[in-house]
Amino acid sequence: MIGLVAVSHSRALADAAVHLALQMGGDDPPTVRVAAGGPDDDLGTDAVAIAAAIEEADSGDGVLVLMDLGSAILSAETALEFVARPERVRLSAAPFVEGLVAAVVTAADGADLETVAAEVRGAAEAKERQLGGPGDAASPILATDDDASTTAPDSPASGPDAPDPAPGTAVDGRTVSFEALVVNPSGLHARPAAAFVKAASQYDAEVRICDLDAGSEEVSARSLLALMALGIRRGARVRVSATGPQARQALDDLRARIDDGFGER
Amino acid sequence: MSDAVSIDDLVAWIRRFRDAVQQHKDELTRLDSEIGDADHGSNMARGLDAVVARLEPAPADAAELFKTVGMTLVSSVGGASGPLYGTLFLRMGPALASDEVDAAALGAALRAGVDGVVARGKAELGDKTMIDALSPALDAWDAAAADGLAAAARAAAEAAARGRDATEHLVARKGRASYLGERSAGHVDPGAASATLLLEALRDTLAGAE
Repeated sequence: MIGLVAVSHSRALADAAVHLALQMGGDDPPTVRVAAGGPDDDLGTDAVAIAAAIEEADSGDGVLVLMDLGSAILSAETALEFVARPERVRLSAAPFVEGLVAAVVTAADGADLETVAAEVRGAAEAKERQLGGPGDAASPILATDDDASTTAPDSPASGPDAPDPAPGTAVDGRTVSFEALVVNPSGLHARPAAAFVKAASQYDAEVRICDLDAGSEEVSARSLLALMALGIRRGARVRVSATGPQARQALDDLRARIDDGFGER
Repeated sequence: MSDAVSIDDLVAWIRRFRDAVQQHKDELTRLDSEIGDADHGSNMARGLDAVVARLEPAPADAAELFKTVGMTLVSSVGGASGPLYGTLFLRMGPALASDEVDAAALGAALRAGVDGVVARGKAELGDKTMIDALSPALDAWDAAAADGLAAAARAAAEAAARGRDATEHLVARKGRASYLGERSAGHVDPGAASATLLLEALRDTLAGAE
């Protein structure tokens, strides 16, 4: 599993952001190290401390570094001069808190360094999109896999008006799906969204979700940011679809979790 | 006598820089309070105190000296000056491979350091940063290098001071000062001011080298 380093001018800020992110990381979160604050416990950053944190966080799969402002970036870049394997380190342009949350969740699923870095890079776009801003247009990050055929046109479940099919009727290679209502009081906000991503990622299946009421596109259930960008609210009708060897198991599990409100009912 | 810099000269230069920053600490902080976050003088003074504390016993050679100076600055300054000045010294060490450091060799090492600062800070001439003092100083150094170390250092210090003074009319395009936009004009850049102290300290150290 890749490691993460949180670089901030303020130790209190970094500790709180990591605490928040680890709430979403499940039972087996990635290693997250903090390098924050300057000399004399003042506000500031320290390239040597960042380098040490990178070494500690690297189990061999690489490290993604998230930073706050200004000289945090300079210091992180300088730190790369002091680490043994700089080629195994990526500095993320993502906003600090959003990026950290997405990185923890994606890394916990076992994604490799490039995958996590790419996912996290879209953290600002996901937020813009949720607010209906410029990120609203399909972005490279939030655009989902180009495999548009995951919902086969001839699938009985492919239309919004289709009756809820039993996932067990699926044949290998075809898409199975179900529709359900989101019962969580705050919709699929960060915590349940993270739980959804984590559950979906356990299976050998390509799982996708869309908000039928909002007429949204389907997004990959492996992307926390894409899922959060949908902004699925309480009472929304969602369709979850899956293909792959374990599509059925994945849908059974996800259906139970959605109906249960991810424990928030 | 050979026109070469000894390790003792280089250590003396760093000590002299520390003394100059201590002496001008309040002035640097005042400049920074006008366009930045009012900590350049105190941050640099703190970092250089930490540096000088590590120069006893004196490092064996220039490479070790500059690595010590650079690493200590990045970990004890706190603000953007830490990685920037730290990179300057860290890049100078490997560029001074030869034992015989004459004016051309020291000029080349300084240029390697400043190139590192440019790469790290992504600042260009005219952005109202330390580069506005360092870049003309290097050109002046190279032009005077044939006349020996003392002459090169003298020319570089004068060019740095002119570059520093010229930052007064510039609009900042980097760092915190850039948030002020047009309002940043009318103030000398604190980074250019401390960089000038660095070259003046070198000039004073090498004054008797001819």
